[in-house]
Amino acid sequence: MATKLITRPINWNKIEDSVDLDVWNRLTQNFWLPEKVPLSNDVQSWGTLRPHEQKLTMHVFTGLTMLDTIQGTVGSMSLMPDARTPHEEAVITNIAFMESVHAKSYSSVFSTLCSTNEIDEAFRWSEDNPYLQKKAEIILGYYRGDDPLKRKVASTLLESFLFYSGFYLPMYWSSRAKLTNTADLIRLIIRDEAIHGYYIGYKFQLGYNEASTSRQEELKGYTYDLLLELYENEVKYTADLYDEIGLTHDVKQFLHYNGNKALMNLGFDPLFPKDDCQVSPAILSALSPASDENHDFFSGSGSSYVIGKHEATTDDDWDF
Amino acid sequence: MANQLVEIADDQGNLTGKTGIESALSYQDLNAMINLWGPDQKLQLDKDKLAVRKYFLEHVNQNTVFFHSLKERLDYLVENDYYEKEILDQYSFEFIEKLEQLAYSKKFRFEAFMGAYKFYTGYALKTFDGTRYLERFEDRVVMVGLTLAQGDEDMAIHLVEEIISGRFQPATPTFLNCGKKQRGEFVSCFLLRIEDNMESISRGINSALQLSKRGGGVALSLSNIREYGAPIKKIEGQSSGIIPVMKLLEDSFSYANQLGARQGAGAVYLNAHHPDIMRFLDTKRENADEKIRIKTLSIGVVVPDITLELAKNGEDMYLFSPYDVEKVYGIPFGDISVTEKYHEMVDDPRIRKSKIKARELFERIAELQFESGYPYVMYEDTVNKANPIQGRINMSNLCSEILQVNTPTTYNADLSYDQIGKDISCNLGSMNIAMAMDGPDFGQTVETAIRALTAVSDMSNIESVRSISDGNHKSHAIGLGQMNLHGYLAREKVHYGSEESIDFTNMYFYTVVYHAIRASNKIAIERKSHFHNFENSKYATGEYFDKYTDQVWAPATEKVKELFARSGVQIPTQEDWKELKASVMKHGIYNQNLQAVPPTGSISYINNSTSSIHPIASRIEVRKEGKLGRVYYPAPFLSEETWEYYEDAYEVGPEKIIDVYAAATQHVDQGLSLTLFFKDTATTRDVNRAQIYAWRKGIKTIYYIRIRQAALEGTEVENCVSCML
Repeated sequence: MATKLITRPINWNKIEDSVDLDVWNRLTQNFWLPEKVPLSNDVQSWGTLRPHEQKLTMHVFTGLTMLDTIQGTVGSMSLMPDARTPHEEAVITNIAFMESVHAKSYSSVFSTLCSTNEIDEAFRWSEDNPYLQKKAEIILGYYRGDDPLKRKVASTLLESFLFYSGFYLPMYWSSRAKLTNTADLIRLIIRDEAIHGYYIGYKFQLGYNEASTSRQEELKGYTYDLLLELYENEVKYTADLYDEIGLTHDVKQFLHYNGNKALMNLGFDPLFPKDDCQVSPAILSALSPASDENHDFFSGSGSSYVIGKHEATTDDDWDF
Repeated sequence: MANQLVEIADDQGNLTGKTGIESALSYQDLNAMINLWGPDQKLQLDKDKLAVRKYFLEHVNQNTVFFHSLKERLDYLVENDYYEKEILDQYSFEFIEKLEQLAYSKKFRFEAFMGAYKFYTGYALKTFDGTRYLERFEDRVVMVGLTLAQGDEDMAIHLVEEIISGRFQPATPTFLNCGKKQRGEFVSCFLLRIEDNMESISRGINSALQLSKRGGGVALSLSNIREYGAPIKKIEGQSSGIIPVMKLLEDSFSYANQLGARQGAGAVYLNAHHPDIMRFLDTKRENADEKIRIKTLSIGVVVPDITLELAKNGEDMYLFSPYDVEKVYGIPFGDISVTEKYHEMVDDPRIRKSKIKARELFERIAELQFESGYPYVMYEDTVNKANPIQGRINMSNLCSEILQVNTPTTYNADLSYDQIGKDISCNLGSMNIAMAMDGPDFGQTVETAIRALTAVSDMSNIESVRSISDGNHKSHAIGLGQMNLHGYLAREKVHYGSEESIDFTNMYFYTVVYHAIRASNKIAIERKSHFHNFENSKYATGEYFDKYTDQVWAPATEKVKELFARSGVQIPTQEDWKELKASVMKHGIYNQNLQAVPPTGSISYINNSTSSIHPIASRIEVRKEGKLGRVYYPAPFLSEETWEYYEDAYEVGPEKIIDVYAAATQHVDQGLSLTLFFKDTATTRDVNRAQIYAWRKGIKTIYYIRIRQAALEGTEVENCVSCML
């Protein structure tokens, strides 16, 4: 980063890495705001959840808010100085902004479904929960470190691994016909996070492939160590959240699946054996970031619309 | 997740006495597995059957109230206010028992988990606390038959036969409500005019609340309301235009729902030449301000031919103040043909006007369709040219398939009615094309369907909205729809959009319209009565029949000839039409409108059909609804043999869909819900081109635009069937 002394205007007509453009296009096309989703349609459904289920849901969302806050304010920005191209910088600004949109989305869920007291309780819980705090501490530690590639690893593990223990619950509710509009919103977030994890992992691989063998070994060891460190904490976090509702086993399988997915994004071999990645089919099927959902327009806005590409018609088109 | 040794049940959950291995997966998981490739990379369709079985075993059977006999069951349901006594009293108990036996003898089975789940979640009668079921599918069908037959035993038998065999399926409000003591109305759709005065606006909102409470979607026309900044009592700059009215309507619809069974839903239509048109469209913008953003209200644009002409020439289009237009012409803006009066209005200095670029309007419409799927489009002049009834059509409904004439209502100072105009309601039901083609007597199927829908109209009396009840009593309008076209085509190994598919669609709808008019004519003869103002319709003059009596309609392809020959369905001849024409001109027809092809969401799942006459959205459809959550629905008859004939709507593309719809449209007096499907590589220009093509082919309305975005390479979920493009 010491080489970037001259300030140059970004030229989108000269693309050094076509992935930058692909991802930029996709991210801007996917732009959305939480106001799009009629969350208030979930109010009735929220009332059918039992008290401990409501509490769990709020805790899960507070946990997600925490991660998105880190990612939006520190995480994505810490990747900025190491950008390889000016276009990568542009993509990262978009990622950072969308992370803040995500963080705000959870607040929309809260304010629509819960009372102020409940919201305050959930935020207090997030400050007091040792595993959530530990998770933040680990990730923030690496973000503040001085190794750019390690920062990317931390970021990818956050995007592709840590989020998912939280995403599990709304997907589970939606397969049980609960909080389906909230699930729409989460699917929009998943749609974004899938691209973020993929992109940062891809940028990591570029740096990794240029590195010396010994440096590669170091990075690889570091990645697996960090994943295991996070995993150990995540298992406790998961049990803390999901034991009461009896879903801990399923969520752990899901963690394994996503841990492998994060490694894949970084170009590494899977860590968890396939037999430990038996994600419940209802959750796995719901994960696809493709917009293939055929929703019923009368009860929600769906998660499939995109910002269209404008192209003017020509005289030929109007030839009738 | 170990499997368990259990007593095995048959596919509807009845225990068989044998033991075996039962999957430990939940029915939700089993259902979701059809969207994941199996270990050998094969489709796991059998898992859906297991899901059905598991659903009955673990959920339905355990939560169904058991009765020792039919007598005990009916007594209990009547005494406890579940069933309407008056319905049952029209028949002897012996007959009801016979009808139940008939229904159960057909061995009805839910083919897909989605169908069973949808039925028990949304239709079956439940105890008042919502925890236990009081009906199976057969019981529901019998109750619908008994209700609609109104004491006519033969009719009740016909109805049960047609519904249980899957040939005819009444629309949700009818199928859901028949025979229940605590219920909403049987009618699917309402369409209301709003005039340019506060009495009419507030009456519109009141009616929207009343009609939502009773079920059914409500559409309102806003074209007559004066624009933003128009004068009120001659003082300039006073009116706040149509957006605040939309806000009020949106809130009204979310407040009222039909006993929780159906969410209130509404649509508003606006003429493209209304000065607020751009503001109207921008309410659906992704980044619209909360104050003007419209989330759950659907919107539609009424587009006259002149707008397309102006766009063709790259010209500006003028927008006209409805306030001034009504002053000048003495009739509301919506009742004026803008195409006819356009230049006259442009030249008239008394009419305030503004202008925008015509092409920009179309581009804006397409942009919004990308972002939100809206607006619907109604080609006003196409619709009116094809309308056999005297009067003007200026709006459509929530699903853009109802196209009927209306007249305004006026009010006194104390808000009572001065003159009650005619508003629109429509009773819908759809035939399953595959089952109808397989059936023993096609004409009888259509006739039973027409009689069932007529019964719904006869039994409706929406007292709270007089313009609706008056309109219904005068017109007896119904809308017979069709579904499972793609299912039928795939089963018969015909590609959707091919020459053969268009040929089939043409001949099928040609045959349906003949039987529909014949049935309505029969009813007119029996009752010695026809719809109000029949004398001034194109049916009365015989003009309507010209296209059938002046030329021979026959299949153009060998394949379609063979399909009709094999099914035994007779194609009406010119002679048949001449006879029918004479009888109609002499006796009239009972129903002002006969056909309308709705999008068929829920009922096509229960009926195991593909929706409407669309191509499928996906071989394994991922369906999400508020009441159901995320459920996976395999296309009917899906197998390795039919796989290639199930190209999805995005692959088929807009042009072929329009071609198929155009073939059907020429035989349908009202409209057909036509959704266009695009991949995310499409631009607004592609959408505009499809709209132009649709208009050229005589399409009347366009419903949603759907966009499918593929997952970015590298981010997809492994093994996902519906993601495979």
